[in-house]
Amino acid sequence: MKILAVTACTAGIAHTYLVAEKLQKAAEELGHEIKVETQGSAGIENEITEADVAQADVVIYAHDIAIRGASRFAGKKVVDVPISLAMKQPKSLLATIEKKLAAKK
Amino acid sequence: MTLLDILNPNIIDLEVEGTTKDEVLHHMANDLYNEGYISDVEQFVKDIYEREAEGPTGMGSQISIPHGKSQAVKKIGIAIGRTLHPIRWESSMTDDGFQDTRLIFLFCVSADNEFARNHMLLLSELAGKLGNDARVAKLAEAETKEEIVRLILCDDSELEGVKPLQEEEIVDLDIDL
Repeated sequence: MKILAVTACTAGIAHTYLVAEKLQKAAEELGHEIKVETQGSAGIENEITEADVAQADVVIYAHDIAIRGASRFAGKKVVDVPISLAMKQPKSLLATIEKKLAAKK
Repeated sequence: MTLLDILNPNIIDLEVEGTTKDEVLHHMANDLYNEGYISDVEQFVKDIYEREAEGPTGMGSQISIPHGKSQAVKKIGIAIGRTLHPIRWESSMTDDGFQDTRLIFLFCVSADNEFARNHMLLLSELAGKLGNDARVAKLAEAETKEEIVRLILCDDSELEGVKPLQEEEIVDLDIDL
């Protein structure tokens, strides 16, 4: 899968970045491509572009505050989960998404 | 400027005393105060608790990452503490919502968003490094300041083959798609 993800946590200091890395590692391990945009205290990093969106199979919002720029993903399949879920079960999250996408085809 | 610039050995403490979260947070806040990072221990701890109230900061593997923005912060940094006793800590990784913590990364961040953005970027880089389970497994065992600093700085490639402390079991989640 080609996955896009956006992470944003309350304080924007720790979980935003930690979970971004966890998703990155989980995707590498399970053989998916991923790009993770972080929206935290340091601003928006690794920003997702229009070209990224065009190619993506799915977009993950892992957050507990509002995602900025959600209109970019209009028309895409979006999975919206609390950041705590992506923190605890990043691999299960990606595996479940893969299963559900396959079932839809 | 690199990560090494915010890793100050003077605020790494391998013998944090206390048996409760409150005691160890105060102990580490005192280290920050003594090194000129914060102007007020009580205010800083209160601001840390404010963030704690919004969700658990235990990240499994006996590690916790308390953080919060505080007006009391004069200099951005990270205090690292290994506790002498296991500390009961709210956790996002366990079913009962608690874990025993032995290693604490206490993020010292200004309430002013524009303050020292370059330091904030370094702290976010450090937080990202804690998203690598292999690094976390090695940190949980590290016994010296040098080893802790080395593990934070090292490249992911040096950690290949290290087994995570807790391997995630892949299960079906109840999510909407």
